[in-house]
Amino acid sequence: MGLKDKLSLVGIVLLALIAVLGCFASLCGTLSGAPLVSTLSGSSQAIDKADAEFKRALMAVREAEAAGADKERIAILVERLNNVVGIIDRAERLLLQGNATEADAIADQTVDISKRIVSEAIELRDEASLRTYYDKIFTFSMAPVASLLVTVGAHYGWKWWRRREVDRLMRMEIKKVKEPEEE
Amino acid sequence: MPRLSEDMKRAVVIFISATIIFSALAYVAVTPRAKEQFFQLYVLGETRMAERYYPDDNPNIPVGRLVQWYLGTTNFMGSVQYVVIKVKLGNSTIKAPDDVNYMPSPAPVLAEFRRVIMDNETWEFPFAWIIGDVGEDGDMTCATVLVINVKDGVEVRRGQVSALNGHNFRIIFELWTFDPATEDLMFGWRTGGERRAAWLQVWFNATKPMSS
Repeated sequence: MGLKDKLSLVGIVLLALIAVLGCFASLCGTLSGAPLVSTLSGSSQAIDKADAEFKRALMAVREAEAAGADKERIAILVERLNNVVGIIDRAERLLLQGNATEADAIADQTVDISKRIVSEAIELRDEASLRTYYDKIFTFSMAPVASLLVTVGAHYGWKWWRRREVDRLMRMEIKKVKEPEEE
Repeated sequence: MPRLSEDMKRAVVIFISATIIFSALAYVAVTPRAKEQFFQLYVLGETRMAERYYPDDNPNIPVGRLVQWYLGTTNFMGSVQYVVIKVKLGNSTIKAPDDVNYMPSPAPVLAEFRRVIMDNETWEFPFAWIIGDVGEDGDMTCATVLVINVKDGVEVRRGQVSALNGHNFRIIFELWTFDPATEDLMFGWRTGGERRAAWLQVWFNATKPMSS
């Protein structure tokens, strides 16, 4: 075994050692970091879930609005979203005060409300999309109809004007213009 | 092939021209008009106007004196938006929010106010605070600011920060919005591929009550 081979073997062993140490350090970081972060941020799974459901509901309402849903019905959903925001705020306040059980119970309430908002918003979006689609078809189909009316109007208008001009021409009389007498 | 009469030719030309014009009008009618998208963020004094931000118009706020402001934001984004106003407590050395890189201030958060607002809707609410306590450590004065939730009449959050001789404390208001792309809150908002930010700050000095 030459010196070159020995060096490459040592290199491989060192690399393997570094990889093992890296994995170990990363594992230690994960194990010790997770509870620390969770304690510091004061988060709870129930609140996180409530927050995630709220975001889903918000996105659904925005989609319904983009599809052209009625403003009044969107306003009702927005009001309910604000109720959810208020409840999550209260849950977070309770969590900060150390009342985790009640905080979780309050946060859980919002999940159902958010889910109902999502289903209603989806219904509203589908309804609005269909209505918007028909509105567009109606608007564009009105173009040839209006053009036909204009064409018919223009055709008969032209005919009436021509007849009127011809009649006027036919009714013309030759009038004798009196020449001024020469002095 | 039979030749078209003059009348027929004229009618066809009129029909095609009118169809082009009416189709263009229909397209304009069904296409939403692009408008500038932005938020408005403001703070008003106790009279609900841009004046009297301090009691007796004196920026030296004594301990225990209630300061009443009104915070508001208006949504001109053209759609429903989820907004969060973060209230932070800082001094003169702490970094202000960065408008260029869209970085929020690293100052500690005193309180957060959240709401979903509709297009063209203004959300305005009272914001009351007091300096709960002032401590001194050499030239440095440490002020504890309490944010009072006027509606419930209870303390929401407290924040503590130090400033040289009790001068140049500031309350920073940052507008955060929900970003649908990342499904998370972001400082400022996105509009037409660009990012914008809105923030405000009001400076004050903390004074200790005169000892008898």
